Amino acid sequence: MISLKAKPVIEGECCGELFLVDKRISFYGEVDPATGEVRGVEGSFKGKVLAIRGTRGSTVGSYIVYSLKKHGVAPKCIVVEDAEPILIVGCIIAEIPLVKVEGFNELVKAFSLGFKRARLVSERGALIIE
Amino acid sequence: MRLNLLTRIQSYLRELEYLDTLRCLHLYLTRVEERMLNGEFGEAVSVAMKILVKVGEALGASRLIEVSHVHISGVSYSNIGEPGLEYLEKLASNKPKFLVYTTVNPSCVDLSLSSKIVSLENWEKQAIINEILESMGSKASYTCTPYLLRRPFAFDRLAWGESSAVAMANSFYGAFTNREGGPLTIAAAIAGRTYMAGLHLMSERRVKHIIKVPSLNNEAEASLLGLYIGEEYSEISQITGASEWSYSMIKEFLAASAASGSHALIPLDGITPRGTYIVEESVERSSIDRRELEHYYNKVSKTLELGEETLVYIGCPHLSLSELRQLSIMLDGRRLKKGVHFLVTVPGTYRALGVLDHSLRKAGVEIAVGTCPIVSRITVKPDIVLTNSGKALFYLSRLHKFNVGLASLVDIVKLVSEK
Repeated sequence: MISLKAKPVIEGECCGELFLVDKRISFYGEVDPATGEVRGVEGSFKGKVLAIRGTRGSTVGSYIVYSLKKHGVAPKCIVVEDAEPILIVGCIIAEIPLVKVEGFNELVKAFSLGFKRARLVSERGALIIE
Repeated sequence: MRLNLLTRIQSYLRELEYLDTLRCLHLYLTRVEERMLNGEFGEAVSVAMKILVKVGEALGASRLIEVSHVHISGVSYSNIGEPGLEYLEKLASNKPKFLVYTTVNPSCVDLSLSSKIVSLENWEKQAIINEILESMGSKASYTCTPYLLRRPFAFDRLAWGESSAVAMANSFYGAFTNREGGPLTIAAAIAGRTYMAGLHLMSERRVKHIIKVPSLNNEAEASLLGLYIGEEYSEISQITGASEWSYSMIKEFLAASAASGSHALIPLDGITPRGTYIVEESVERSSIDRRELEHYYNKVSKTLELGEETLVYIGCPHLSLSELRQLSIMLDGRRLKKGVHFLVTVPGTYRALGVLDHSLRKAGVEIAVGTCPIVSRITVKPDIVLTNSGKALFYLSRLHKFNVGLASLVDIVKLVSEK
């Protein structure tokens, strides 16, 4: 189990199975708003804790995040190393909690060692990977 | 007297900025802003404030500022699709009203519904989007040139989307705006505010580089230079040697550099209002010569020639009335050659073009209103597209995979039309 320093950007519950995509993704073009799948990655992040490095690309990305919620395939929460305006706006309009963490590399390492669940303890400012 | 006023404005700005450096953990809100955030003015205002506050906090803003003009980008159904429409419909159900003067970007259909080149598919969906925006109080502008409708002034506070307009606002008019995304501009229009960070701070308007450029002959060369600088320089660069440029050249230059390099501010020596940017002593200097530009031209552009089917595209960014008039004079008494489509795009506010429209149409030119090929689908499949716009070259070759040749309007008209 490891604990990362975490700061909620959009408050809310963040606890569940981790779905890690170890890169910056463009929600517009790389994420299917109807299924919650990321291009080139197996499975859907529906109802899971989506962990990504950050986002890039068109501002239409905010609308895609909203659309995920509308289609019922949104992640429960999104964990990022770098929170960029397009994603922040998307998470606000879709009401998805967004957490910024320090030490994303540790998260990746822990994930590869088999720690597949994340839990935010907001009062301690920590994201527990267990 | 004028200088005195300028000095006072500058010292006032510095004072404001000093306050901004005393950054608190949270963004400071006035009492009214707190009430807006807490939902006293309805849910739409509350969500809009939340967007501004959260993005502001992430970017280190210390407070919000009131803006005088919002320009909304990301309104074309071809771009935002169902997800965007769904969000706008939900937003509209709360019946919000824009608090400030608000204009919008081009949509994906010709508002005169007569274009044969810009596809009419999706026009019902686009009509819903337009209706929603207008019901919230937006002008039916549908243009990427909001500065033609309301001219910004130096130190004017704006929240604009649309990269080319942002570059014009900061670099030509000396106004202050960041390059905002679609949903954020809508939030700014509802709240009448934006966050105080980025290019709203004088400290972020520092020139890192001064580039001496060769003298240029026309708007296509200015476009090319814009594309080149956008690609080669990532920091804020000031241009020397631009003071002789025409308005069209400046417009094309800035649009091109904003497309290829996300530039939101490129001070033009002798043009950009003084005091709206800072030049430091330690600034780096370099120069660009014509040979470099010629080499770059061969890399990015096809040569100027006719294909079996040729599409000429003029009006990226949208033409002003005087630019349209020049085109009309140029084409007077001429006709397009066989296999040539000629598309011109103008702001949505120029729907009733009367005489000009008639004479251009007589020559075979199609005028599409309130749209452009970058945000719409096109019905023709040309072997080559000819344009005087670097921005159009950048996007049409990437989005629609067209072969695109860059040349001046005069050269294009000579090639594609005859007496």
